[in-house]
Amino acid sequence: MAKTVFLPEENLDAWIKAMAAERRVMAPVRDHEAVVYAQVNDASAVELDTQATESPKKAIFPQTETLLSFKRMKTAESPDALDIEIRESIEAEPTVVFGARPCGVRGFAMFDRVYDNKRITDPYYKARRDSTHFVTIGCDKPMNACFCHWVDSGPTDDDGTDVLLVPVEGGYAARAVTDEGKKLLDLAETTTRKGVKAEADAVAKQALEAMSEAPDLSDVPAKIMDAFDDLDFWSEMTAACVSCGACTYLCPTCYCFNITDEAAGLSGKRIRTWDNCMNHNYTQEASGHNPRPTKAHRMRNRVGHKFGYYPDLHDGTILCCGCGRCIARCPNSVDIRRIVMRVKER
Amino acid sequence: MSKLDTLKEQIQEALPDLDFVVAWERGFDPAHATPYHIKEEADLDRMVLDATCAHNLASFLTGFKGKKVGVVVKGCDSRTVVQLMQEKLIDREAVTVFGVPCRGVLDKAKLRRAVDLSRVESLEADETTVRLSANGEEQELPREELVADKCITCRYPNPLEFDHMAGKPLEPVGDEATQCARIEAFEEKPVQERFEFWVGEMDRCIRCYACRNACPLCVCRDHCIGDSRDPHWVSQETDIRNKWMFQLIHASHLAGRCTECGECERACPMDIPVLMFKKKLSSAVKELFNYESGVDPAAIPPLFTFQIDEETINERGW
Amino acid sequence: MCDCKNPYLPEKATILEVVQETANIKTFRVRLDDEDKMKAFTFEPGQVGQLSVFGAGESTFVINSPPTRMDYLQFSVMEAGEVTRALHGLKAGDKVGVRAPLGNAFPAQQMKGKDIVFVGGGIGMAPLRTLLLYMLDNRDDYGKITVLYGSRSPADFCYQEDLDEWMARDDMELVLTADTGSDDWQHRVGLIPHVLLDMEPTAKNAVAVTCGPPIMIKFTVQALEKLGFAHEDIITTLEKRMKCGVGICGRCNIGTKYVCADGPVFTYAELKELPNEL
Repeated sequence: MAKTVFLPEENLDAWIKAMAAERRVMAPVRDHEAVVYAQVNDASAVELDTQATESPKKAIFPQTETLLSFKRMKTAESPDALDIEIRESIEAEPTVVFGARPCGVRGFAMFDRVYDNKRITDPYYKARRDSTHFVTIGCDKPMNACFCHWVDSGPTDDDGTDVLLVPVEGGYAARAVTDEGKKLLDLAETTTRKGVKAEADAVAKQALEAMSEAPDLSDVPAKIMDAFDDLDFWSEMTAACVSCGACTYLCPTCYCFNITDEAAGLSGKRIRTWDNCMNHNYTQEASGHNPRPTKAHRMRNRVGHKFGYYPDLHDGTILCCGCGRCIARCPNSVDIRRIVMRVKER
Repeated sequence: MSKLDTLKEQIQEALPDLDFVVAWERGFDPAHATPYHIKEEADLDRMVLDATCAHNLASFLTGFKGKKVGVVVKGCDSRTVVQLMQEKLIDREAVTVFGVPCRGVLDKAKLRRAVDLSRVESLEADETTVRLSANGEEQELPREELVADKCITCRYPNPLEFDHMAGKPLEPVGDEATQCARIEAFEEKPVQERFEFWVGEMDRCIRCYACRNACPLCVCRDHCIGDSRDPHWVSQETDIRNKWMFQLIHASHLAGRCTECGECERACPMDIPVLMFKKKLSSAVKELFNYESGVDPAAIPPLFTFQIDEETINERGW
Repeated sequence: MCDCKNPYLPEKATILEVVQETANIKTFRVRLDDEDKMKAFTFEPGQVGQLSVFGAGESTFVINSPPTRMDYLQFSVMEAGEVTRALHGLKAGDKVGVRAPLGNAFPAQQMKGKDIVFVGGGIGMAPLRTLLLYMLDNRDDYGKITVLYGSRSPADFCYQEDLDEWMARDDMELVLTADTGSDDWQHRVGLIPHVLLDMEPTAKNAVAVTCGPPIMIKFTVQALEKLGFAHEDIITTLEKRMKCGVGICGRCNIGTKYVCADGPVFTYAELKELPNEL
């Protein structure tokens, strides 16, 4: 493990400036009532002391992106028919996601298993994934909706990040987790401070102890299958749900998308946009049949996917990072922890 | 006996004839309540009734066709019941309305500005004060600084439509003049500034449609133009134009119908003040037709009908 | 940037011919514009493709011509929604996009040496056509071939040319049945499962392949069970709303299986393991 050094709070600004000179730096900034990820050139607008409203997933997986554009035109060879020109557009720039929490960053490891594996590679995702790195800030205190330790993570988990900063007195205990992280950390003015690693460890320990005990979720995939046909149960679990996409779009691990053609006249583009399985039309077939016609069916799939199917397909990895956004931002405070525990306790 | 106890008794007595009653229970922490279904007596123990009960439970009613249900409503929520009756979107006979007078609910954006809303340990509110502990810090704040804007100018604290009432009626705190205050203040700004305001607000919209799905009166539902390919008026892009277009169409669909329950704004996970679009159209409807939605079950919303000579519109200038 | 193939990028193709099969079904014969790619194109019976109408979108169809006949790729399209409506508006010479082959295939190799019973309903005949033609082109590898093709009415049968040819062949049996007949209908009248039971195809050393509307599949499988077919020997192909077609976008799953990537061909034994979410 690389050495832990001390980064004084007041040196953050110069560090961000140095990184911004070479790369796009995305950090949490205030946007009216919310905190969102936006490009920054210094620390002035960066807000680090709250969990950002949205997750950092748009840095690698934007909400809208153009897969290809197309243009119809006449050609000399066949003037009475329209030929078509298709052009793919894969874009990526070197990026640092600065100031996310461990929960926000872990989502990408789960994306990787789906978007970049032996069977298939999504070149749009891969281009951005390969050029994006992370400086993550660990947590010294959980929020009421936090449950990262339920899903094999924790307040100062360094899984998936390049540099980990843990808040200590006067600044951060900083440690490079990867080679790229070392390059990034070298751009900062850090000092050695005797005992700073122990300080960071104490913060990590205290944060974890402040969280109530985590249940063992390894039996949940089987329990979900047992409960599959009990639609009364799933209806009860979704009494408060309004089937919107808030939970899905704010979630660092939700990766589903839609592909639509948007054309005007002879040209247009095929775009990929975030989609959400809680939407009625998500599985609507042209024949009129819909395998998931009610919110009960759809929540069953959501919970099934995250805590059942994905773990079954990916060595037990749960498709959830425990960030709690879906709980804290749900219009009606639907709590996925409650649903998972109710499934477990059946 | 407290309002909550009275309400529990009323529900308990009616429950055998109902499939379930929609009420509030404690959510994931003391600052949040959450809707739930009371199916049997034992479920009554979980019910809460306090300033965190902001949700308009009447918004679920159109999803219960064929069932006999009960619903707990505050004053503003009851206007939804009235509006649904006007439009025949519910069978009034199949709904038992449990009314509770309300002196205001807490607004999450205001709470978040005042305290660490993500770490609330306890919360209690009485008529004047909200006592809470967040992140280890105990605080006492004036209730009027934390309640929703709609509560500050509330004219209908008592349900207008109910089968049971739990608690004594309360006096309104607002009047007709104050209803449009929010819009009037906004419209004093120059157009360019107003435009920039909305560009700024719509930017962070994530097209989750929480506002649409939480709306009790949205009837397009799964055929919404926001998702629809036929007609294809809105693209799936997350640019401001498309997002704003959806808001304007939704507000237009609600003109003369919206009761300003505020669910749209309350539901928004990005805290965008989308209620303003609907308030603007409500004030326009009031001006044109001298009409207020969700008050008289026998009324017809002005855009559902037409009259050759509108009483309030002097077309010919005579 | 990686040098991986872009799975979302369609190949340009030109429509060679459009055949009006029934009132709402058209067959499209397309050829990839890039001749080298067309010559190198391989697929197995049962695999599907995403057809693009640029501006409308993509929709999934089985490649219902067999890999043994590569003059063109054939897709049959029932008009149902935006993309199929746009497709139906196209004519020979128009351009489409093709992303194929996607998904898995019928286990044609494992079926060698066996008797094959095809049961197709309506547009469900399309995926069966590709396997049937493949088997006819490799006739010696397979045993007795029986085809039962049913539709709502005499006007709802696709592949008229093929049907005449198959009827005339003496190395296969073709039975047609319509739910309701007409004055000049010379074939059977009756629902597919009843006619199937009446035909009594032997289940011994046999495999059944069926496709059609969900309700038809349900009762056909029941009939096949009655006839003694084991669940591993009943094969079907599923439909779902699809977008990426490569198992990424998360939409077409039934439990842990993605219909576009782990399917669309499944044995009934495999389907029974999956949660009840067809």
